[in-house]
This record gives sequence, C-alpha cells and structure tokens, in this order.
Amino acid sequence: MKKKVLSLLLSTAMVASLAACGSTGADTASTDTQSSDTQSSDAQSSDTTATQSADASADAGSEAAPAGDYNLTDLYITVDGTLTANVDNGQDAFIEQWEAAVSEKIGHEIKLHINQPEHSGYKDNVSQLLTTGEPGDGQYPDALIMSATMFKQYQNTGILWNMADAYANAEFQSRITLPSINENMKTANGELYAFAPTYGNGCVTYIKQSWLDAAGLKVDDIKTFDDYYNMLKAFTKDGQTGVIAAGFGKLDEAPYINYMPEFWQGAYPAIYQKDGQWVDGFQEQATIDALKRLAQGYADGVIDKDTEEASTKTAREKWFSNDQSTSEGVFTYWAGTWLRTLTDNLDKNDVDTDLGDDRLVQLPPIKEIKDTWGGYINREAPVWVITDDGDGDDSREQAIFDALIETMLDGDKVQTLWTYGAEDVHWSTHAESFTTNPDDPDKKKDYEYAEGEFHLKQSPNDPNSVWKKNHLDPVLVIAPLTNGFVDNDELVQAGNKFFTENCVDAPQSPSSEILTEVEADLATDKTTLMNEVVAGKKTAEDAIAEYQAKWGDTITEILDELNAQ
Amino acid sequence: MFLPVVIYVLIIYYWPMLGVRYAFYDYTLKKMEPVGLKHFQKMFADADFWKAFFNTLQLSIIKLLITTGTAVIVSVFINEMANLFAKKVLQTVIYLPHFMSWTVTAAIFTLFLSTSSTGFVNETLKSWGLIKESIDFMHELTLWRPVYYLVNIWKETGWGTVIFLATLAGINPELYEAADIDGATRLQKIWYVTVPELLNTIIIVLILNLAKVLNLFESVFVMYNNRVFAVSDVISTYIYRKTFMTAIPNYGYTTAVGLFKSLVGCALVLICNWASKKVRGRGII
Repeated sequence: MKKKVLSLLLSTAMVASLAACGSTGADTASTDTQSSDTQSSDAQSSDTTATQSADASADAGSEAAPAGDYNLTDLYITVDGTLTANVDNGQDAFIEQWEAAVSEKIGHEIKLHINQPEHSGYKDNVSQLLTTGEPGDGQYPDALIMSATMFKQYQNTGILWNMADAYANAEFQSRITLPSINENMKTANGELYAFAPTYGNGCVTYIKQSWLDAAGLKVDDIKTFDDYYNMLKAFTKDGQTGVIAAGFGKLDEAPYINYMPEFWQGAYPAIYQKDGQWVDGFQEQATIDALKRLAQGYADGVIDKDTEEASTKTAREKWFSNDQSTSEGVFTYWAGTWLRTLTDNLDKNDVDTDLGDDRLVQLPPIKEIKDTWGGYINREAPVWVITDDGDGDDSREQAIFDALIETMLDGDKVQTLWTYGAEDVHWSTHAESFTTNPDDPDKKKDYEYAEGEFHLKQSPNDPNSVWKKNHLDPVLVIAPLTNGFVDNDELVQAGNKFFTENCVDAPQSPSSEILTEVEADLATDKTTLMNEVVAGKKTAEDAIAEYQAKWGDTITEILDELNAQ
Repeated sequence: MFLPVVIYVLIIYYWPMLGVRYAFYDYTLKKMEPVGLKHFQKMFADADFWKAFFNTLQLSIIKLLITTGTAVIVSVFINEMANLFAKKVLQTVIYLPHFMSWTVTAAIFTLFLSTSSTGFVNETLKSWGLIKESIDFMHELTLWRPVYYLVNIWKETGWGTVIFLATLAGINPELYEAADIDGATRLQKIWYVTVPELLNTIIIVLILNLAKVLNLFESVFVMYNNRVFAVSDVISTYIYRKTFMTAIPNYGYTTAVGLFKSLVGCALVLICNWASKKVRGRGII
C-alpha cells in the first residue's frame, strides 16, 4: 500500500511540476517578447542587476549621452585562448592593472571578471552561455570574443548590440590606420555588431632549412606546385614525411584552406561570394581538383597520415618535437609572432640548434596560388561583440563599449595591457637583467636592459622563455600604441612583413539563418567526404555527387536566401 | 522517515527530469516557443538519426553478447585452474583494464593500431611478411566494428567475470563428485555441470544489461571518426554533435532525441522486467 501511495505522490508531483514549469516557460517567452516590444521601464529594471545598477547621477565619462545614465561597476567578459595572460600566466596582475587604469578613465570603480573557457571548446561554451543565461546573471558575458564565422552566425539573432554609433564616436577613430576592417563588417543598413581591434592574419608555409639543405634544395627554386610536391617527395623517407597539418582542410573554420594552401590552390570549399553572387565552392571543379591533389599526396605518403585527425596543437608539436625522425619538413601555420614561437619551440627541443633564428624559411606563395587567390589568405578578423539586453535602452551597452572597447585602443596604458600584458609581470621599463636557460650552456641567453627601456620579461609560467604578447598583436592592431612601446623582435617583424607582402583578404563569411541551422552537419558531411576521397575510398566526383544528392536542395535555399539579401 | 525520502527523490531524481518539456519547445537563443511535436517529426525524417539508432542497437547488443560470452569462457577457465597463485594473478591482471578510462584506452589502441611507423600491429605484421601496406584499422568501415568489439573484450571481460566466478564458487561440489563417479571427463563436467549452473546467471546478466543498450557514448566517442560515421555514429554521439558542435543549437531538438531514447530505454526495461519474471520468477523492478 505504501508503495502505491508513494508512486501516486511522485507521479502527481511530476505532472504538477511539468504543468507549472510549462506555463513558466511560456510566460518567459511572452515576457521576452513583451519587454523588447514595449521597452518598458519595468523590463529595464528587471534586467538591471545588483552589480550593474542604473544610477542616473553617475557619469560614465562618455561623450555618448546614454552611457552617462549607467554606472557599470562590473564587467563580465568571455575570452578564448588569444588572451595569453591566462590564469597561469599573470592574469591576476592584468585584471588588477586594467581595473585601476579603466576606473581612472571612466571616473568610477569597475571590476573585471574574465571567463576563459578551454580554447578548443570555446564555441560550445559560448553557445551554452548565451542560450541558457540572462544579462546580469554573473555568467552571461557583457562582451566576448568571436571568430568571424561565429560572429556571422550570431549577427542576426538579436543578441548582439549594434555599436555603429559608438564606433563612429569613439576617441580612437582619429588614430585608426586600417578603417576598412570594421567598415567592411557593417551591414547594408550601416549596422555594426562587432568590433575588430586587429586585422585577421593568416598562415604561411614554413620549411625547415636543415631539411632543404639535406635534400639539396633552395627555397627560391620552389615556385610551382610541381616544385613544391617534388620537395615533399624528397623529404619523405625513412619515417619522415613531407608535410603535416591539422586536417586536410578545416571545413568548420574559415578560411578553410589556409593550413594546406598549396593543395587547395584556387578552391574554396564553402559558400562564398564570386562575381557578386553567392556560390557553393564545395561543388566547384576547383574543389574536385584540390581533393584529387590531396588524395595523390596521401597515396604517395608525402602528407603525414596523422593529418586526418590532428588538432593544430598535435600537428605543430609533432612538427617541432625533438624526435625529428618521424617529423615533417613543411608546416603551414600562422604568420608573424608564430614564426618566433615555432623557432623557439624547435630551439627548446634541441632541433637544428646551430641554425639559430634561421631554422625556418617562409615559402613565397607558389604560382598556382598567385594565379588564383593572389597570395596567402588573410582571414576575416576575430571580433569583440557586446551583448544586447534587449531593453531598448543603449546605456548599458554604451557603458560596456566605453569601458572595454574605447579603452582597449587608448594608445596608452590600457592598450599596452591588452598588447603586452601587465607591467612588471609581462613587461617592464625598469633596468634589469635576466638569463634564460641558465643551466644549459648551449641555450643560455643573457638579457640586460637600461632604466626606461621597454622590454618583455620572462614568461610567468616559463622563466626559460621570454614573454611574447597578450591579446592584441602590436603589428596587426588597427590603431597603434602611442607610447612608443615596441617589441623589436626582428624575426617577428620579418614574419609580419613577409605575410603582409604576400596576402590577400579572405572571402567574407555568409550570414544566413538556414546555414546557421545546418552548418555543423554540413561541415561534418563535407569533412567525411573529403577524408574518404583523400584516403582513396571514393572518387572526388562521386563524393561531390553524394554531397549534391543530400545537400543540393538545402544549399539552393541558402544561396537563394543570401542572393536575395 | 517517509517525507525526507520523498523530498530527496523529488529534488534529486524528478526535478531535473522536468527538462523533458523542452522537447516540445524551440529552445534556442532568446527564444522559447512551444512547437508541439515538430522536433519528433524532424527526428523521424532524419536519415542520420535512424542510422545512429540502428548503429546503437547493433553495437550494444553484439558487444553485450560478445563480452558476456567471453566473460563466461574466461570464468570457466579461471575456475578450472588448480594453481591458486596463478589464478589470483590472472584475475588481477584481467580486472585492471576495467579501471582504465576510455580516453586512455582509445589512445593506447589508436597508437597500437596506427598506420605510422610507431604502430605496433602494422609494423609486426609487416616484419612477418603478412602484409605489405599498413591496415588502417581505425578508419576502415569494415574493420572499425571488429576493433571496437575487441577493445571492449579487452577492457570489460575481466570485470564481467566477477559475477560468474561468484556463481561458480557457489556450485554444489557434490555435483562434480557425482559426475566423477559417472566417469565424466573434464570437458563433460564443464558442459553438463558448470554451464547449466551458470545459465541462470548468464540470462540475468543479459537481461539486466539489455535495459541499458541505448546508453552508449564514451567508448564510441573516443574511438570514432568522420570516415566511420556510417557504422559508428550512435544516438548519444548524434545528440552530442547536434548540441555541442552546432554554433547555435536548438536544445529543443536534442532534448526530443534524448526523450525518445529514454522512452525506448524505458520500454526495454519493462520488457526485461517481464522476461526476468518469466525466467527467474521475479522482476528486476
């Protein structure tokens, strides 16, 4: 009897709760709609939390009127791994110095809260935060970093704030050297839902000098795909392979082809704009040809088999590992600062120590790339976005812009924090001397700086290496520092110069509701087909036919939607 | 004493279950709208879902039969071992893989079966002259499932023997003595005494595990890859991809798939309960 009573109780409670919660959900939905429609003061106050309270008397210090009404006391940001001053690398000092500098600028105390999920799971984490959270709940980000692809997917969802006016009135406008980066992100109506503090950067092909020497080759002789392929063949012997990458193509992340540009050449296996019309590059002949080249490279063994499933981390670590007997000669990776990082990692692993900073050579784009794209692809820039609380009042969002984005490019203290990190933790102007690798006579290096001389310090979590940069790359930034703090690493400068001389802008990512809904499945299927073709399980033509049979109608719908915009 | 238990059960077990209502909503960014059975219609029309569903059933049931069968055979062999020390050592050795995480297990086997020069199996087969080209065990459609079953046997057989060894220890020795008197050989004793005595336990183990056949995720997730989706994608990995690999997921859809999986699981439990009542006279719930 007791059992039956208990069962009845539980069932009743379950049904009652379901009904109650169901109606709550419906209420929530209707409240959301109502608040955005009516822009009522009630809705405003319900979105305002204890930490971000409205204070009519406070002056946020902005020229834009609405921000003056809002006293932003806590700023919640979500960032990916590009903020290198992470919790293990002096983030506390970064936050402390940011709070002091920004509080002084905006005229009142402000606290910075950084949520930095694991880099590879960033996209998932952000979607969960934005779907399940509410502005002001302590988890929901006021502002966050997005890749260009992510941004295009979120652009029309209504959760991002149109910062066009704030951007136009920003103090840093007068110092912007690359206005086109942000101007190009504006919609046809002139709305701007994101801000890019830097240009995108891209990948260049690095070759180990020692491998070239061993094969009796010179980089100047590698001009065409045939030259490139013969070089890979020459590198492939006794367990060593020609080239490795993180996937034959990274079909879930624009610009898709940048890790193996010599094989992809003029192909673009995604939806992109061509002669003013949106088209699906995956169905084009150029993609079929590229897949055939990749399949040939795989069959000939010049592409490392680990490429199929390697992450970027796995690929680069294998490339610069101290076991060069199973490594590869060629690796296409990020330009500029990464040239220094890759060189340092080879050094750390005792690879080609005698070559010093000349371990790597950068391969100029081969003829087939020059004849099609024109150069290496400069990806669309990663951006900062501000979340819109939907109350119709821009004061909160303007206050976030003033505290975060306006100060990020102030040319001075705060920009230095975002560029190099915290003073006397990541960089300093005080006289000092230090030694990296003091116990290793081969790698030991002394550094000495005079009082007032700007320099980077030892990395907080690795005293044997020198800190490189924080979030903003000083060479890529759209408004340079005005305080003269420049890291004069010749290798980094050479890397950036090489890239800027040999790059072209990537096609713009599409922003389509249908595409957003299916993009994960689409990327999965395309990757599956690509891998099957490369492994010789299918012909490229059969793979594209299979793709068309499954996705043809959906792609047509997407293209119609895009071309109607 | 009654009330705390009810409160505990309500909060811990029933409260989270309220999330099933999202199966009837569009639950995405800034949007929570009731949509009735839309997600179920979409799910039933999706060929990928059905592929994942049938893969789940096939992988789970074959894995269950193979690992149970192997555990029975190994248990019988261990039971027959006369040397107590060797018996204990063997038991310990075969239990160990069970305590290894699936992530580590997959990494070990991926290296072991790799096509690169570090792949032990391929290099050995080549050095023996049995193959000329490396076999891509983890990426071949025809080989992935056999590899998956083998890895499961390696990892779970030892642990599976625990319950069978306990049963074997409880077999009345008089039965073996009677068989000896009748002149039975060792194999005949196994076949006519041990196996029949184990049969009830085998059926119970199968029935109890049958109810869980749809709960297949970790072992597949760490071993599968794009090229073998056709034979390896299961419902849980399908849900994972739809939820965590989509830029803006619709939690309503994935909740609907999860709810369907739970309902099928629930039906299986009831079937097993019925089967249990038939086999041993009492149910499992």
